[in-house]
Amino acid sequence: MEDPVYALRASPAFAQDSICFVARQSGLYRSDNGGQDWQPAYASLHLTDPLSTMALAVSPDFASDRCVFAGVYGGILRSSDAGQSWQTASLPTPPPMVSTLVISPCFALDGTLLAGTLEDGVFRSTDRGRYWQLCNFGLLDLNIIAMAISPDFAHDETIFAGTDSGIFCSTNGGRAWREVDFPMEAAPVISLAISTGFTVDNKLYAGTEAAGLYHSTDRGQNWFSVGRDLLPMTINSIALSDADLFILADDKLLRSYDHGYSWLIKHLESTVWQGAMTLTILDEFGDGALLMVGLSSGETPILDIAEKGWQTILN
Amino acid sequence: MQPIIFDSAAQLAIQRGVNQIVDAIRPTLGPCPRFVAVSSSLPGRMPELLDNGGVIARRIIELPDPDENMGAMLIRSFLWRLYATSGDGTTTAAVIFQTVLNEGLRHLASGGDPMRLRGYLDEGAQLILNELTRRTVPAQGRLLLAQIAESICYDPPLATLLGEIFDVIGEFGRLEIRSGSGRDLEREYVEGMYWSGGVLSRHFLTDQSDQERSLARLEDAAVLISDLTIDDPAQLIPVLQTAFQAGVRSLVIVARSLSDRALSLLLANYKPGVFRAIAVQTPGENSIDQAEAMEDLAMLTGGQPFFSAAGMMLNSVQPVHLGFMRQVWADRSFFGLKAGKGNPRELRTHIGGLRTRARNATAQEERRRLQIRIGKLLGGSATLWIGGANQNEITARKTVAERSAESLRGALMEGLLPGSGAALFSLKSVLDAKLAQSADLDERAAYRILMRAVEAPMRTIIVNAGYEAAPIMAEIERIGQCAGFDARIGQTVDVGQAGIWDVAAVQKSAVQGAITQAALALTINALVHTRHPVQALMNP
Repeated sequence: MEDPVYALRASPAFAQDSICFVARQSGLYRSDNGGQDWQPAYASLHLTDPLSTMALAVSPDFASDRCVFAGVYGGILRSSDAGQSWQTASLPTPPPMVSTLVISPCFALDGTLLAGTLEDGVFRSTDRGRYWQLCNFGLLDLNIIAMAISPDFAHDETIFAGTDSGIFCSTNGGRAWREVDFPMEAAPVISLAISTGFTVDNKLYAGTEAAGLYHSTDRGQNWFSVGRDLLPMTINSIALSDADLFILADDKLLRSYDHGYSWLIKHLESTVWQGAMTLTILDEFGDGALLMVGLSSGETPILDIAEKGWQTILN
Repeated sequence: MQPIIFDSAAQLAIQRGVNQIVDAIRPTLGPCPRFVAVSSSLPGRMPELLDNGGVIARRIIELPDPDENMGAMLIRSFLWRLYATSGDGTTTAAVIFQTVLNEGLRHLASGGDPMRLRGYLDEGAQLILNELTRRTVPAQGRLLLAQIAESICYDPPLATLLGEIFDVIGEFGRLEIRSGSGRDLEREYVEGMYWSGGVLSRHFLTDQSDQERSLARLEDAAVLISDLTIDDPAQLIPVLQTAFQAGVRSLVIVARSLSDRALSLLLANYKPGVFRAIAVQTPGENSIDQAEAMEDLAMLTGGQPFFSAAGMMLNSVQPVHLGFMRQVWADRSFFGLKAGKGNPRELRTHIGGLRTRARNATAQEERRRLQIRIGKLLGGSATLWIGGANQNEITARKTVAERSAESLRGALMEGLLPGSGAALFSLKSVLDAKLAQSADLDERAAYRILMRAVEAPMRTIIVNAGYEAAPIMAEIERIGQCAGFDARIGQTVDVGQAGIWDVAAVQKSAVQGAITQAALALTINALVHTRHPVQALMNP
């Protein structure tokens, strides 16, 4: 039976604690051994029906605050003990469907989180997820599919939201939004990722449902298509490490170590790999990295990028 | 009085009239302005104390000398039009106008050709505009916006709040400035959009708001948008049938009016938890406003409006005509919605079209109307409550806040220039280079005049602050492009770092208008006085 994976997150201290979370249609699961075994994280809630979980965020200070947030239909669940117990933060009625969650890189200081929803736009919390306020000034498309937050959020307060009709940007911490000059015909934007060196390089990437990968080098002011004839048209997920850019299509994983100029491809040929939906970097070490991929079957295979099997497709 | 005067007599009369007006408003330029007292038309009333060039010029009705009066009315009309379109920059324009006129007349007295001079001045004005555009920087961030506001209103608490508000709402966001009840300033952000046009019957108001105000509040509602007058309840039957068929549980009918019988039909169909319908008035004061509001509502909700002027009837209503939204509320005076389910691509295209129209609009009233529409469509608004010690202070602060808000919109739309006259002053070197290239006497004169004109605003600001202009301007010229004078502290500073900015749009309109109008005034060669026909008959 299918149990699609909607989101994956690892503890920022994964190398030491091996904790990671997976949000599935059947609920949220936690692993303490690097994704080999999964335990239901909602066990303490004694639910009678599965609680579909579409969004997930782990505190950047998880090692000390143990905070995890899960976006579900009608609300957001928050845990301050690494998913053992949960408190509910209700969102204003009518109940929204939370599709994506982003957390401030300086969460310990500002307590800021943003939740994107599928019909109601963006909710914002500045008190560690207790109280949420609708923040849709200037947001002309309320179907939020993906969000990305600047690594230097404490200073630039920049967030991007990918929607059905394009991309919106906030430069005041999500209080107000502006349209980004992204080609409307290329939308919907279903994945977004900001460079780890965004403060200096101003780079971000947008994956679309049917128009491939787009790239901006000026904080989203101008966009251009990357590898239009060679890359897949549907980009389900994007992940950026310090050295590499990874994009995930339905049945293939692509890697670029030069910001999209050349690409290596890894075909996910086995049947269990079909329907790759989301991707996260578990750990980085030297030139290598451990990736976890979420599949529509509910499986969460792990890839070591140092493994063989990468083919060059573009130079 | 001579009915017609010619040549230099005409030019000198125009010059004297212009100089009187400009000298009256000159003290108001800069951060250390002095007031101009204007006597009241009613005896025994306190004179008006003004620091706005446009308003002062407007208060000068007539000069006693009819020849000088023509010059005065020429610049008065220009300054008032500039004030109406830009909201600021009138004194800057006035001093530039005066400099171009005075220096231009000096050149004409030495044998220059007025038409050729005018042509070169117009060319020079275009060069100045291009250079100002090149030096324009975008206005972004709360702090920068607050700095700009402060350079306009000289009221730090007000400037801080305006900076925050415009950082949130952007150039087209909706801001209402209202009189507050206390001494302090306060702001409020309202999520969602709302229109004037409340419920058509108080019986619909069955919910309570946070302020214990009676409201009608519906969730996941459908909306029928119209400006129809519905007298017969039978007209509503197809609407209700369509709503039932489409599985609608909450329905809002927007109409110009509903008869009591039609309202009774809606109230009779109220079944808690199953179906509820309310009726609200079509927003807008006239048919054009109503049509625009209906168009916007349709874009937001995905509905199709029924226009009475087009003869549309409700018996043809289909599910596709209904719009949808996540939330709607209405009280006796307003109704609002959140999260309309219109097509976001069409909505963005629609707003893009309105933005273009707003940018190209020449009349301030039309631009303001379009700004209000765009602000509503952007999904939120802000309210600034102005407090003060007494009603006069509140009124004065409100006027300043409105002027500053208008300038901040301009700054967000068209960017900023180094303030305190520094941007214009820095163009001297560009004009000097053009002067060096030209051989024609009139052309050389035009660039020399413009070099004096771009100095004029900075010179005036320095003098108004009580300093001697020449040594300060020499020092600024020596330092270079970023330098300017901070009149509040009496020092030469890097104007960008000191947060001294001017709104580019205002500066550009002031400079362009002043140079081209003064160049036109230089071509006047005769003054003709006409008499009112009735006066002519009585005193032949």
